[in-house]
This record gives sequence, structure tokens and C-alpha cells, in this order.
Amino acid sequence: MADSVSSMRAIPRLVVELDGIAGSPGLSIGQALVVEVRRPGVVKRRLAKHQAADEVERYQQAIARASRELQEVAARATGGHIETSVLQVYVLMVQDQTLRENVERRILLDLVCAEWALDLAVDEIAAHLTQAPDPYLSERSHDVRFVGDRILAVLSGQHSIVQLPDTGEPVVIVAHDLSPAETAALSRDRVLAIVTEVGTRTSHTAIVARALEIPAVVGAVGAVSRIGNGDTVIVDGLRGRVIVSPSEDMLDTSKRRAERYRALTSELRALHDRPATTRCGIHIHLRANIELPTEVDGALAHGAEGIGLYRTEFLYIDRPEPPTEEEQYEVYRRVVETVAPLPVTLRTFDIGGDKLAPSVHGPPGLNPALGVRAIRLGLAIPELLLTQLRAMVRASAHGRVQILIPMVSTVGEFRAVQKLVYQAMDEIDARSQPRAAFIPCGCMIEVPSAAMMADELAREAAFLSIGTNDLVQYTLAVDRGRRELVDLASPFDPAVLRLIRRTARAGERQNRRVLACGAMASDPLGVLLLLGMGLRELSMEGAAIPELKEAISRVTMHELEQLADAALASSTAEEVERMVTEGYAPCFADLLDGAPAFEPDPNRGHSVNR
Amino acid sequence: MTSARGSFLVRNRLGLHARAAAKLVNVASRFPCEISLSRDGQGANAKSVMGVLLLCGAQGTCLDVEAHGDLASEAVRAIGELIDDRFGEGE
Repeated sequence: MADSVSSMRAIPRLVVELDGIAGSPGLSIGQALVVEVRRPGVVKRRLAKHQAADEVERYQQAIARASRELQEVAARATGGHIETSVLQVYVLMVQDQTLRENVERRILLDLVCAEWALDLAVDEIAAHLTQAPDPYLSERSHDVRFVGDRILAVLSGQHSIVQLPDTGEPVVIVAHDLSPAETAALSRDRVLAIVTEVGTRTSHTAIVARALEIPAVVGAVGAVSRIGNGDTVIVDGLRGRVIVSPSEDMLDTSKRRAERYRALTSELRALHDRPATTRCGIHIHLRANIELPTEVDGALAHGAEGIGLYRTEFLYIDRPEPPTEEEQYEVYRRVVETVAPLPVTLRTFDIGGDKLAPSVHGPPGLNPALGVRAIRLGLAIPELLLTQLRAMVRASAHGRVQILIPMVSTVGEFRAVQKLVYQAMDEIDARSQPRAAFIPCGCMIEVPSAAMMADELAREAAFLSIGTNDLVQYTLAVDRGRRELVDLASPFDPAVLRLIRRTARAGERQNRRVLACGAMASDPLGVLLLLGMGLRELSMEGAAIPELKEAISRVTMHELEQLADAALASSTAEEVERMVTEGYAPCFADLLDGAPAFEPDPNRGHSVNR
Repeated sequence: MTSARGSFLVRNRLGLHARAAAKLVNVASRFPCEISLSRDGQGANAKSVMGVLLLCGAQGTCLDVEAHGDLASEAVRAIGELIDDRFGEGE
């Protein structure tokens, strides 16, 4: 790979950086292959009557071939993985009688060619499904179209699902979107990494990429138009970033980071039991954020002391009806049992805002981040929240469960939720179902008003959890999605730091644990400030834990407290950033190789030596 | 030529969703007889996943299963058991 990379440098090109979502961990450097998954063009050809029988024959051969290809893909996908069942459905659909009869009837009666007949049949079936009252079923119209496209591709002679060039050189796949089947068709020895323009951590591409252990960045807007075939790209699946035509420095640092990550993952088992302890011997609890139950094993393998934030939204997304108590209970129970005796913090749904689930819809409003979301939605529809709370209470019988309430902005809200938690417990007791005697109920501090009232909230809550991403957004009044405002949204801003400090102090005074989660808690430099301000418990992406253990082992609490005091006394985010990076970048140089989460802007006039 | 029929209530929460439909088609395809499903007068071939999906059978739907040919009653019984078993989804 190194040779081809250096040959690419002959043509100087502008460095392009794309931010996306860390879909699958790992870091790869390689040449891009832009896959245009366009629908094959439909040939419209009329047939003479005597040609119809041959055309039906041609269509049947295409079905056989398309179904064989999909079966091969299904066989290659990791055995027993949930995604294979999606592929099985596709195989059945390709062979489907209803579809076949529909197409054959058109060929024989309307005398149109197979491609045209198929296109009409797919349109008809898809339109029918789209009208289904059930949004889940109407979603299936995409599957029908996918299957139709597969057969069309065979008819038009484009056999393989994603055409990889036969250079034998592994490549970085860049696409607008990949279907589960397409992702599963990619193999680790031919694909270095995946970049897609759409998708989230829970989309099929990310899930399949994680299962195949291929680094992936999803949701990288503009990737297809800004990356050309053969461009050298760095895909950082740890931080959700893609660098196109990187400079030599960037290549060098990324190669070191990639090697470090590989070394770390191979040493994982050995590092796994190492505690996170400062040089002066203070233990820091590092827990993992998860979104899907399948992430638990990875988190524990990375050495997480339990789950500090289990985002339960995925249960509510992409479905017609909210999940039942029973369904949620089964999911939570499995996670809680796997993690026991370590704790699991279950956060009640944070839907509304940027994660609208069709199952609990309402008018989105102009500014969803300030609208009816998270606990506001839960209090507006108490039965929705109670169903979830009952499932959580029941899961507490199987391990250590804590419940966390998101987006609390007033003490009154927290009291109202607490009442519902007690009601859920009473209902479980009335059914004589088992539960833990004590279930700590914590309050998220992510709205400035909650941070201002941290003492009062700490008196009522069993623990506090600072959500740094939302706290930054709400404190600085910056929409997280706005590119042009990204510089304003710094967790190093003294206003944010003072709110965090205030919350940490409230925890100390009221004798409550305070935890921090969010991007700041997984960045080594952000963590220094959090520890210096008194936090002893952090929750982050599981993959970031080994790196942070190493960073924490190199510092003493005394120096971090001094650093935090100086940062809190600063006037601007830039001052804080400079102070932290100048003080610690040299000693963390090996950990910060590549792109840290908050990279100081080189145009700002201060140079940082990493 | 034997015939058999039966009515079954879809009780799993997601109804006849893609994977459930696929399971039903897999069971139906094991039998040589012709099997049809119907709800409210709308019919579908039980060996066609798209046909089954197009029935849009949500939770609470009553499905009539009808089979003609060899092993017709075995086929209706097997499909009935699958539906009664909530397609193995446990709820």
C-alpha cells in the first residue's frame, strides 16, 4: 500500500477534510474507489409475438443468477449475524412467484421486454406497499426496489453487486449509500474502509462494517462529489473523519495512529484489566456509551467498567409502534446480565429533537432541539415513559441498573419523573415481578438551567450525568448541525467549563456521583479538564478507553487541578485550548497523532506541536 | 385431491413483517400443495414473500389459510403452528 500512496503524491492536490460519524472503529489509508450505485437504465423494447417465450426464458435465467449472487453474499456475511436474515428475505424476493408471474404476464401479454416488464411490476408492487397503513410495511417498498435493481443489473449484464476493480489492491469504498447486501458483499481483504454520505451509527452500513471489522465513516456529506477515484484518503473510523489528498505530515501521523490502533487492539486482552489510575494513584471509572446491545461485548473487551450511557432511542426508531414493555425488557435484561456485576445506566428515550421516530411523531417544529423532546415528550405522554420505566425496573432484577433522565431543565420536571419511576416500581411489585430493592435514578445535566440548579437537582437525584455535547450546544446557542458555527461550539469555552465545574461542586456538596459523557469525555485533552474539575467517572465510546487509560496514567491530579483552575479563570475558548494543548500535547504526542476531536485551527495564529 | 383450511390470528407484535413473511413462505414451500392466504377477501399465494407482504397483516389480523393438493392438511397445520407460535418471536 505504501508504494501506491507515495506515487499519488506526485500530483499536489488540495487537502479536503470531511466530518462524518464514526461508524466502525479503526483507521485505514488507501485509494478511493467511488461506487456509483445508480439504478441501471431501463431498456424499453417491444417484442414480436414469437420472441415472448425466449424473453421469459431470459428473465428466468436472470432471476436464477441474481438469486445465486445474493446467496453467495449471504454465505459470506458473518455466520449467524442478524444481517444475514435481511439477505435471506432478498433471496426469497428475487425468487418470488408473485413478482415472477407479474413480469411474465407483461412479457407474454403486453409484449414488452423483460427489463421494462420488471420495472413496471416493481413500480406496481412498491406503490402498493407504500400505501400500506403501516409505516414498517411501506418501508419494505425499498426492499422491493432493491431486489428489482438486482435483477435488472443481471439483465443488463452488470453482474456483481459492487464492481471492484481486479487490481488485487484493496481499496477504500466511497458511496452515497450501501444496502446491507452490498456492505456484506465487501470483504476485509479487498476493502480497507468504507465511507458513505448517509447513515448513522445504527444504520445497516455501520452495523455490518463493525461486524466485518472494516473501519467506516458514515454520514460524510459530500463524499461522493469531493472524492475522486484513486484519491488517497485517510478514513478515521475512531473519530468519524475523512481526509482526502492528505499532506505528508498528515499521512505520517495517520500511519502512526493506525499502527498504534492496531497494536492497541491486538494488546486489548492484555490491557483490558489494567485500571485507569493517575500517576498519583487516583482511580478513574471509565465506562462505555452504547446504542445497540451488540456493542456490549466490544465495550467490555476494551476494558469498560460497565455501561455509563445506554442510549435507548434505537428501539424507537424506524418502526410503526413504540416497543412494548416485554420487548424492551428482553433487550435490557440481556445487556444487564452480560454486564453484571458491573453497572448499566439506562437512559430513557431521547427522541424528538434530531432523532424523530415515526412511531411517536408530532409536528417537528422550527427548532426541534428546543421543542418537545426527551423527557418533555415522556411527561407529555406518560404511558410511553411508564412502559419504558417498567421494562427498566424489571431488568434491575438481573444485575445493576441505574436509570438516567435526559434533557431535564427544571427541578419540577425531575420530581415529576421521579414520581413516574416510583409508580413503575409499584406496578411491578403489584404484579409480584422481581426487581432490585434500590434503583438509582440520575439526572442529566445538559441544559444550562439544570447546571445552574445543580445543587437542588443533586439533592433529589441519586447521581448527575453531564452531557457535554448538548451542554455546549445550549450554552453557546449553537445548532450542532451548522458547519459555519462549528468554531463557536467548543467544549473548551470557559462558560461551558464553569457550568461543568458548578455541577461537579454540587455533586461534592450533596455527596452525589457526577459522571461526564459526550465528545469531550473521550478526547484526552478534554478529559484532563474534566478530571481537574473534580470528575471521577467518564463514559465514552468503548474504543477510546485503552487510549485514555494510557493518558490518565501519565498525569497527577494536582497538576490537573491547577490546569483546570487556570482554564476556569480564562476569558476565551482559544486561551483554554492553547493552555491545554501547549501543556499536554508534547507529553501525549503519541496518543494525539492524527486528528484529535477538537483540533485547534492552524489559522488562529498559535502553533501547536503535535 | 385433498383440501384443508384453517383460520389463525396474527398475534406477534410486528405482524406479517418481512422476516415473519419469509418464515411463512419457507414453511409453505416445503409442501407440494397449493396454499393461499386471505384476509378480508384479499388473497395471496403463501409461497410468495411479496404476496404475503402485500396482505399487510398487522397484529390482530385474522388469516384464512387454504390448501389444495397433497399434504394439504399437514400444510395448513404447519402454517397455523407458525402463526400461533408468533413466528418464533416470543411476543
